[in-house]
Amino acid sequence: MRAVGRRASRQVPCSWALLPIAAGCLLVAFVVVGPAATPYDPGAPVGVPWTPAGGEHLLGTDVLGRDVLSRLMAGGRRLLMVAALAAACTCLVGTSAGLIAAGARPGVGYAVDLVADLLIAVPALLPALLLAAVLPGTGAVVAATVVSGAPLTARIVADAATRTSACGYVRAARLRGERPAAILVREVLPSMSGLLAADFGLRFVTALQLLCALGVLGLAADVPATGDWAVMLRENLPGAALNPAALAAPAVLLTAVALAVAGAAHTVARAGTGSGPR
Amino acid sequence: MIVTRPSRPAVAGPPERRPRRWGPRSPLAPLAAVLRVAVLLSAVSATVFAACDALPGDAADTLGGGRVGSAGLDELRAQRGLTDPLWLRWLHSIADLAGRDGGHSLLTGRPVYAVIGERLPATLVSAGLALAGAALMCLIGCLLAGRRAVRRPHTGPSGVATALAAVPQPVVAAGLTALFAGGLALLPPVSLLPPGGNPLTEPRILILPVLTIALPTAAFGTALLAGAVADALSTPHAVDARLRGVPAGRILRRHVAPALAVPALRVLAVAVSATTAGTALAESTFGYAGAGELLVTAVATRDTPVVHALAVGSAIVVLGILLIADLIADPIARREAR
Repeated sequence: MRAVGRRASRQVPCSWALLPIAAGCLLVAFVVVGPAATPYDPGAPVGVPWTPAGGEHLLGTDVLGRDVLSRLMAGGRRLLMVAALAAACTCLVGTSAGLIAAGARPGVGYAVDLVADLLIAVPALLPALLLAAVLPGTGAVVAATVVSGAPLTARIVADAATRTSACGYVRAARLRGERPAAILVREVLPSMSGLLAADFGLRFVTALQLLCALGVLGLAADVPATGDWAVMLRENLPGAALNPAALAAPAVLLTAVALAVAGAAHTVARAGTGSGPR
Repeated sequence: MIVTRPSRPAVAGPPERRPRRWGPRSPLAPLAAVLRVAVLLSAVSATVFAACDALPGDAADTLGGGRVGSAGLDELRAQRGLTDPLWLRWLHSIADLAGRDGGHSLLTGRPVYAVIGERLPATLVSAGLALAGAALMCLIGCLLAGRRAVRRPHTGPSGVATALAAVPQPVVAAGLTALFAGGLALLPPVSLLPPGGNPLTEPRILILPVLTIALPTAAFGTALLAGAVADALSTPHAVDARLRGVPAGRILRRHVAPALAVPALRVLAVAVSATTAGTALAESTFGYAGAGELLVTAVATRDTPVVHALAVGSAIVVLGILLIADLIADPIARREAR
């Protein structure tokens, strides 16, 4: 992310780069409208278990005979909202820590670095597993995303803030006698808006991965009866031979979400600092 | 793949990682690197132990299963040494790991190394095959990225690998199962180990778990290394060599491969760390009784010695690879500078 942006900023927004953003808008529309437009009750059995796709039930039924298409339409909103919440918390914590580390003495930056390295050394799923034993599913996902993402965000933000601090307009602000906190928030932070948007995308993906992991391991305790896409993966795995569509459909949608968010983050990162100072 | 690391800074290199006094050219650098690993390893051990201990409920509750009264639970706790203070148990646990049997499982009372030892071979087979496959795919990905960097300089990496790396591992598992076990009916949807526990006698059961671990790892490795490949190809001496008509193979060997060694090792370290998570998910999904599945069960049953031993073992591998990367980064940087 270091030298990205400056030289590529003018040529990026072509049709390919905007594809993920368009796909993301479609997906958001689907999960917003979906729950209101389900053909059947997504939480109740409406047919024979494991009916194959086609006919009355477009995507067949699941283990309890619930309509897969209805569950698919109902099961996205909460999932994406939790992932967005987790990503927002992570960015908030990580950015604050990064700005503090950049403003403080080098020792603090070294500590942030050490914590980030510690996270690489701990088996990647372990924080989420441990947290899932304390908090119900959603809380564990948010907490685990913060724990595993905030140090990395902090490292990137501290890095960028240190570089920006050497810029002329920041020096000028310092010479005008503005307070260090005001300089960080008003001068340094806006220049990192593109970086932060891309980072939000990465953390969103992490949250999505943790949601899927806990869903598949059966640790998503507080998902409502209408289910979500991650839990559907677990529910429909045993019926893979009877109704493959029940397993493939949530997998396709989750893949689309992941690709759209990661692709959009890549586009934003390459488009550079976006609304930053010219 | 569970972790998405920031694309460049994590691997792009040594420059800002350490204070200058300990920096690459200093004679103290190797010592500092070893010290850092020791600090990180103790931190991993302490954090995991304390976190596991702080979970609500303990192994005595699991053992009692609600049938034993509070007096019985206290007796169980005293028996297993759970009444000692935390720091004392942690030190005991460290001493146990250095011993022959690694302490005893709180659940079964069996030696920890024996419990892990019977699960480890299956995981080493699947994870090893997955890492090898991922390395091969990653190499192809890097070659493609290099070709792109030469043909269209200044456009940056394509981002296809970054996007693919974002697909959650359980989704990959589900997609593969729906395709190969459901739609095509080619492979078994569960991978139960044959009697004797040797997966190699039944290679068909390995395909889905191995692909589940390998595909995200490959995408993730390519995403991280593509930038390093492009950077190495755009260095002045590589550009110059290309303009002089030096064969591509030689440029790759002489200029790209050395610059890639250190980032590749760092990516390998992260990939190993992520593979422990990957095996846990793949094994739980496909019912393959390996060490990853053991980790999930051990956390659920509050078997702290087993969790601790698995975490420390994995951390030793990861930190060991990072240490090698740090140690060889120095001579390579010096050679490049000449």
